[in-house]
Amino acid sequence: MDHYQYLLLMAGCLAVTAPLELLGARVYRQPARLARAVLPVAAAFLAWDAAAIAAGVWTYDPRYVTGLRLPLRIPVEELVFFLVVPACGILTYDCVRALLARWRGCGG
Amino acid sequence: MAGDEVTGLGYTLPAVLAVLAVCAWELIFLRTGLFRRPTYWLTMLIVLGFQVPVDGWLTKLSAPVVVYAPRAVTGLRGPWDIPVEDFLFGFALVTAALLAWERQGSPGRSGKGPGGRRVPAGGRRQAEGAESR
Repeated sequence: MDHYQYLLLMAGCLAVTAPLELLGARVYRQPARLARAVLPVAAAFLAWDAAAIAAGVWTYDPRYVTGLRLPLRIPVEELVFFLVVPACGILTYDCVRALLARWRGCGG
Repeated sequence: MAGDEVTGLGYTLPAVLAVLAVCAWELIFLRTGLFRRPTYWLTMLIVLGFQVPVDGWLTKLSAPVVVYAPRAVTGLRGPWDIPVEDFLFGFALVTAALLAWERQGSPGRSGKGPGGRRVPAGGRRQAEGAESR
């Protein structure tokens, strides 16, 4: 299971933030908008990631990753990270927005 | 192989530049007003709270998933051995995502921003109406 540590951590992030959609966030209900927000940002950060990996700025302990690599030696976990973390941030933001709007009584 | 030598790029400088680039993207081009909203700062506070356990799990020196070349970082490491650069990285990543999200949803508010070309006028209100079908 150790090889799945990184992926399981990302799965945990998705699991913990999923209920936000029920609390008022409208993110998974707008999949196209979510994709248009997350994908360009993920692409930019993956480019940085690839450069940092190539330069030896950071490396990954082979014990805790699957070993599956994308082009430019990017671990598949990094792609997942750059999709999951922005999505979790957007979920948090939209949930806070919805809750504050409800609290202020303007219903969004 | 990776890890032997850091070829000038490092982590500290790119992390600072990423924060500056994201701020410039908003302040000069997008102008969504995100930085003026309490919702944004409250979100970043919550995100920071979750970054510590998640990032900390990846960077803890007892069993790190991600290993940083000592020459690439300042060496300042905060809770759970998180490199201080990671907080800049996280700020830039999440803020960029929120800006991109806002750009999709409220083109009317972004003024002359480049976004919104595929989103009809009316912005968020209309988008929310559309999604609740």
